Amino acid sequence: MSELLFEPLEFRNLTVKNRILRSNVSGRFDHYDGTGTQARINWELRFARGGVGAIVSSWCGVHRRGFIVPGYASIESDERIPFWRELGRRVHEHDCPFILQLAFGGRQRDVNGVEFAKGWSSTDEPDPLHGFECERMTKAQIEEVTESFAEGARRAKEAGLDGVEIHGANGYVFTQFLSSAINDRDDEYGGSLENRARFLLETVRAIRARVGDEFHLQVKLSTTEYGNALLPWAPKGNTIEDSVQVARWVEEAGADAIHVSSGNTFPHPDNPAGAFSAADVVATYDVLLSSGRHTFRNYLLFRTWPFSRIVEHRAGRSLKRVEGANLGDAAAVKAAVSIPVLCTGGFQRASTIADALRRGDCDAVTIARALIATPDLVEHYRAGRDEPPRPCSYCNKCLYAVLESPLGCYDERRYPSREAMLEEILSVFRDDPAAAA
Amino acid sequence: MILEPLRLGPLTLRNRVLRSSVGGRWDNYDGSGTEVRINWDVKFARAGVGAIISSNSPVHSRGAILPGYALIDSDERIPFWRELGRRVHEHGCPYILQINHAGRERVLPGLTYPKGLSSTDDPEPLNGFPCEAMTVEQIQEVVAMFAAGARRAREAGLDAVEVAGANGMMQTQFLSSAINDREDEYGGSLENRARFGLEVVRAMREAVGPDFCLGYKISIEERLDELLPWHKRGNTVEESIQMCRWLEEAGVDYLHVSAGAGFPHPRNPAGSFPAAEMVKTYDTLLSSGRHTLRNYVTFRTWPLNRGFAWWWQRVGKRLGIEGINLASSRAVKQAVSVPVLCTGGFQTASVISGAIERGDCDGVTIARPFVANPDLVRHFEAGRDRAPRPCTYCNKCLFNFVENPLGCYEEARYDSREEMLAEILSVYEPAAA
Repeated sequence: MSELLFEPLEFRNLTVKNRILRSNVSGRFDHYDGTGTQARINWELRFARGGVGAIVSSWCGVHRRGFIVPGYASIESDERIPFWRELGRRVHEHDCPFILQLAFGGRQRDVNGVEFAKGWSSTDEPDPLHGFECERMTKAQIEEVTESFAEGARRAKEAGLDGVEIHGANGYVFTQFLSSAINDRDDEYGGSLENRARFLLETVRAIRARVGDEFHLQVKLSTTEYGNALLPWAPKGNTIEDSVQVARWVEEAGADAIHVSSGNTFPHPDNPAGAFSAADVVATYDVLLSSGRHTFRNYLLFRTWPFSRIVEHRAGRSLKRVEGANLGDAAAVKAAVSIPVLCTGGFQRASTIADALRRGDCDAVTIARALIATPDLVEHYRAGRDEPPRPCSYCNKCLYAVLESPLGCYDERRYPSREAMLEEILSVFRDDPAAAA
Repeated sequence: MILEPLRLGPLTLRNRVLRSSVGGRWDNYDGSGTEVRINWDVKFARAGVGAIISSNSPVHSRGAILPGYALIDSDERIPFWRELGRRVHEHGCPYILQINHAGRERVLPGLTYPKGLSSTDDPEPLNGFPCEAMTVEQIQEVVAMFAAGARRAREAGLDAVEVAGANGMMQTQFLSSAINDREDEYGGSLENRARFGLEVVRAMREAVGPDFCLGYKISIEERLDELLPWHKRGNTVEESIQMCRWLEEAGVDYLHVSAGAGFPHPRNPAGSFPAAEMVKTYDTLLSSGRHTLRNYVTFRTWPLNRGFAWWWQRVGKRLGIEGINLASSRAVKQAVSVPVLCTGGFQTASVISGAIERGDCDGVTIARPFVANPDLVRHFEAGRDRAPRPCTYCNKCLFNFVENPLGCYEEARYDSREEMLAEILSVYEPAAA
């Protein structure tokens, strides 16, 4: 059964040894200004060693104005190339391609930092969670950001990496343009779906023109936005039908693969889908209480009963609905395009993945949380196990701890003791603990 | 006078203006050091300061105020400090490692230890993070950690070690009559409250030998009531002076005078209270600990936030910010024969030389004005009384560092906001030779 998982996947410009890719997931391992550190290399090596087919990097900013949080290595200038070259070199030692995810946050930020009071977006409406200020981008600013994506891709190529992914999903700048729930422009970048997709398609073409035809380029999309997941009265945003059309256009513009996700914000109840503990969230996502327009509302919502219970009810997802929740969307996209389709969303069991591949819902899956819990998940599949002995519980503590604490699995139940958990989490700072492997 | 060498026991400094302990969260979460900290300290070494006192380096990860400070908790840390010392020495600048255990005094407790250790079970007053009173066995462990930290400083080729005994750190938590509520041999009488700090000094002296410079930083005026009016005042000046005498007997080579039995405190850093910065960057005040709602209301709600800022600033206004601790320092100097360093807002050559000439202190240590003007000593050398764009004591530097890089955030001192940000972020660029 697991044979399907281990069939190589051929993209137009890149071959991947199996069908399980590490999805983009970020820790604040780097310096405030976006220079990379050894800790990030150590982090990525875990997954390369664990046998994943390829790694999609963490969220990597192409332009300082678009950073979502300090402490993520960026690709904003040529000075960053040597770091990514070294990271790529180390990951390649394990026969693992490395795809750099190019990103721009727009109005959606986790920690707004000191550098820019206002994010750039399609709109001047602040993000709904924090209420961080933002401003509507001018045409010149759109062009500047498009150019920085093209330059980011060129730098990735020069660093010897194996491809790039445009982060067009999860509420970041391209979602802010694509989404009918967010984009309120009346120029050529707003209004019709065609107009709303213009910025993304221009960026795809700009990257393709810069890096040539031979360099892998994929695009991540939130194919269903579920804009009303938290607040029932909020607009739903784009549907799968809209996104299938966008995917076709993206293919025409020169992309080599589509990566399917969901939700028009991050975090979003459907991504990361699973448990939601208001108290845990707010202890580390404390900018919710300190910055932006909505601090008092957030204090009440997240810290005060019964509001916190209501938030938990709306934001939590039954674990039965977590694994493969985006497969229906992936299948719809796959039916419409001829390039490979990757799907993310809670994958953890070999049988689920194999079924999806057999049905042709997608060509490969990408995994973040389950790999954080079990970096050598692929080896468990190879050994014939359907899931690892101590699977990810979708508690989501990893993704909520990240602003204040090192990224890692924070589900204490998965470890023999709390000490063992902390030891495992902090081991990322030790230079290459298993270099011999 | 201020540019003359100063002897601190076995160590001779090139002048009397020292960079005081101040550092950002430059390092990794686990306490391993990074190149950024080296860049930060080299900046001051190159600019001619008499010596650098490191930012506090915890002797154990449980004693860290917040993650992101390089630790001195194991021998594995020595190579980092050796490299830092080497790079600072290239500029002829001695390096004093300040070692600490924060006890209950934490800004961001981090993952590893939900409870801080202290003399008491009472949480610190600002966040209300939980802590537990140490057993005698735990106290002895911490004493041994300080000794090991001092030994590592010497093995790393650094020039001195200083105990961060002031500003609400563990030693304050024992010494202070406002905090220590023990009934054993570490609490009660002044002699008992002093026991922990003195044991630390004796153990460190034994670890480093007689020919290595050992200093101790102490808050002479504790005045917790100046931060929160319902709080007990803490030790009298006379009690603090007695502690200084005992420290001299225990073998310190110098004393370093500060104020406040907690940090932050209206005397340290004296000046403005930037509430708007504070709530954004000290956001654990709102998210963690016992007092989140009180803090939300106090620091974010008019007129309470204005009232608190007024309450804070009146202390500095009453006492004067520059040289705020000189009266304390003078009292210490009269009681002991070891050299005395004084901290607190210094940035004017005539004020510093006046203090030294009067015998109020033997040298000064500076944090904020050096953050604003790393080359302050160069201005003094050129005969200027002050830097052209002096520190305004806005305190934004110290209230930004939890989330943002340490640096001068006083926009009025720069031509533009862009220039300010470029200057702040330059710490990440490799230090030029």
